[in-house]
Amino acid sequence: MPRSAGLTRFAMELVVAGATGLIGAVVVAGAREFGTGWGVAGPEPGYFPFYIGILIVIGSLGTIVATLVRRQREQRIFLDAEQARRVAIFCGPMLAFVIVASTLGLYVATALYLFGVMRWQGGYKTGFATVVAVGTAVGFYFIFDVWFQVPLLKGPILNWLGIY
Amino acid sequence: MGNFGNLMDGFVIALSGYHVALMVAGVLMGILVGVLPGLGAPNGVSLLLPLTFTMDPVSAIILLTSMYWGALFGGSTTSILFNIPGEPSSVATTFDGYPMAKKGEAGRALTLAFLSAATGALFGVVVITALSGWVAEFALKFSSPEYFAVYFLTFASFIGMGSASPFKTLVSMMLGFAFATVGMDTVSGSLRLTFGFTDLIKGISFLVAVIGLFGIGELIVTMEEGLRFEGIRAKVTPRDVLHTIARMPRHWVTLLRSCIVGSWMGITPGGPTAASFMSYGLAKRFSRRKEGFGSGEPAGVVAPEAADHSAGTCAILPMMALGVPGSATAAVMMGGLMIWGLNPGPMLFIERPDFVWGLIASMYLGNVVAVVLVLSTVPLFAAILRIPLAIIGPVIVIVCFIGAYTVASSTTDLWFVLAFGVAGYAFKKLDYPIAPLVLAMVLGDKAEGAFQQSMIMSKGGLGIFFSNGLVSTIMALALLLLFWPLAGMLVSRLRRHGM
Repeated sequence: MPRSAGLTRFAMELVVAGATGLIGAVVVAGAREFGTGWGVAGPEPGYFPFYIGILIVIGSLGTIVATLVRRQREQRIFLDAEQARRVAIFCGPMLAFVIVASTLGLYVATALYLFGVMRWQGGYKTGFATVVAVGTAVGFYFIFDVWFQVPLLKGPILNWLGIY
Repeated sequence: MGNFGNLMDGFVIALSGYHVALMVAGVLMGILVGVLPGLGAPNGVSLLLPLTFTMDPVSAIILLTSMYWGALFGGSTTSILFNIPGEPSSVATTFDGYPMAKKGEAGRALTLAFLSAATGALFGVVVITALSGWVAEFALKFSSPEYFAVYFLTFASFIGMGSASPFKTLVSMMLGFAFATVGMDTVSGSLRLTFGFTDLIKGISFLVAVIGLFGIGELIVTMEEGLRFEGIRAKVTPRDVLHTIARMPRHWVTLLRSCIVGSWMGITPGGPTAASFMSYGLAKRFSRRKEGFGSGEPAGVVAPEAADHSAGTCAILPMMALGVPGSATAAVMMGGLMIWGLNPGPMLFIERPDFVWGLIASMYLGNVVAVVLVLSTVPLFAAILRIPLAIIGPVIVIVCFIGAYTVASSTTDLWFVLAFGVAGYAFKKLDYPIAPLVLAMVLGDKAEGAFQQSMIMSKGGLGIFFSNGLVSTIMALALLLLFWPLAGMLVSRLRRHGM
């Protein structure tokens, strides 16, 4: 069995099953606000979600038990340091994209994100990266806003430039 | 022969210039999403769906199904040339397709895959044509308890027949149901599971979930593996095509078997992925050249491709006739039907025969268009994968987020995509099945509605689910499937002790 530094599958199984179990508990709690029994018109609004929440908790507990039983076999590495680095490099800029997109709009975020990844991760020259990034954003503008007439979020910068 | 007359009417609708143009556009976009990592058929259809909200339903479904055919073909292309399945359902094609390409037979492998796929798809459409009138008539006997029983059967078969851990399937499915209940309840009007967040009142769209789970999730997995695209250059020459056509009859047994397996798995909710693996396994078991499998055996390309496409095609039938989609992509399309104001189910065949038969006719035409287009454009699309990952990766990410935004013009959905993306990554790596979650999100409201109406009919007694022959049979079958893994475990344990 390869032993290197990293997150084991065993740990990850428990974390994910714990998380789904927690969601199940939240669903049960939320359903209880609306009554989970029988009213005059059949099941109350909370009836269906209540039992779904309980099934989520049962399923999660089942996974936890199955994982604990097979503890020895679940020691494989889920994520090693190199893989974690790759995931972080990909997800970091993506998170930044979502933050910028919800504040400055989708087109600005598109250009900035593509420029950033090309310039600092792809190692492209600033000029080329700028052309591709801005070109892509303009291309999307024509596809969505002009052609399909689906307006995307413009944000304060484009509004200031007179594009709504 | 009512079906035949209806089909001819369908061809009149599907053969208009506008609709053929939509087929070409749909197939090309489909090949593109099939080729690109992270953008598969369910995802591509989800991304395109918001753009069809204003279209006529017949045109919209032709565009979406054509995209589906294109995506299935695109997925096979990357499997053969790059050893990267563009779609989960084309994983089995890599086993023999890539070795064939490495041996210098890329053109032949591609042609073989496309022709087998087209045969599978045509078989599937013929099955649909033959069965749809009958299935719809049968489904007219259904009322709420029967509908709930069919939904129950669908979900039970996922738990019982799926290859994943039953607990994980259960969790995945129930999470889907839970997400579907978020927001305004259509029956009582109460705001369920919103916990005071106004953004949650409109609910969580299944499209956003699909884009996150399939798109972003798949991309994170791809990036984590540090994938390099090392493709084999390929050109399909007319000689390859003729040569392969001449050899196709040799594979007729494999083709027929794979088509039957595929159609069965498509109509029952086994789905294309299971169908392609099963068909590959069967082809290997019955082959006289078992040792050739895995190192470029042509039958190893024929089997999964034919099954994949006949399953993909047949999955449309239960979606239309019963409102129970047979695959994740069919689930997304069914969500589209409901958004366009159509009600999937047997009444669709009576209320909108133009829609049903226009779609079926377009499936014949769409697959022919798809084969011609894919054979002629393979080098072009293979070249797209040679665009460096530092450019194409972020562009795919942007397309996913923009697609999610167009669903409801809400920035909250961007965060949902991110969350579903991370969940999709973890689920994929830990072997949680994702299709049941999507199916549950689409069917959640309908299943709950059917249950509620049954309960109102019976004044709260569960006995209504066993009140007549039809509903009892479906329920019994569902319970049998549900407890199948348990029974299997018991039997093997008893045997071990008995020996």
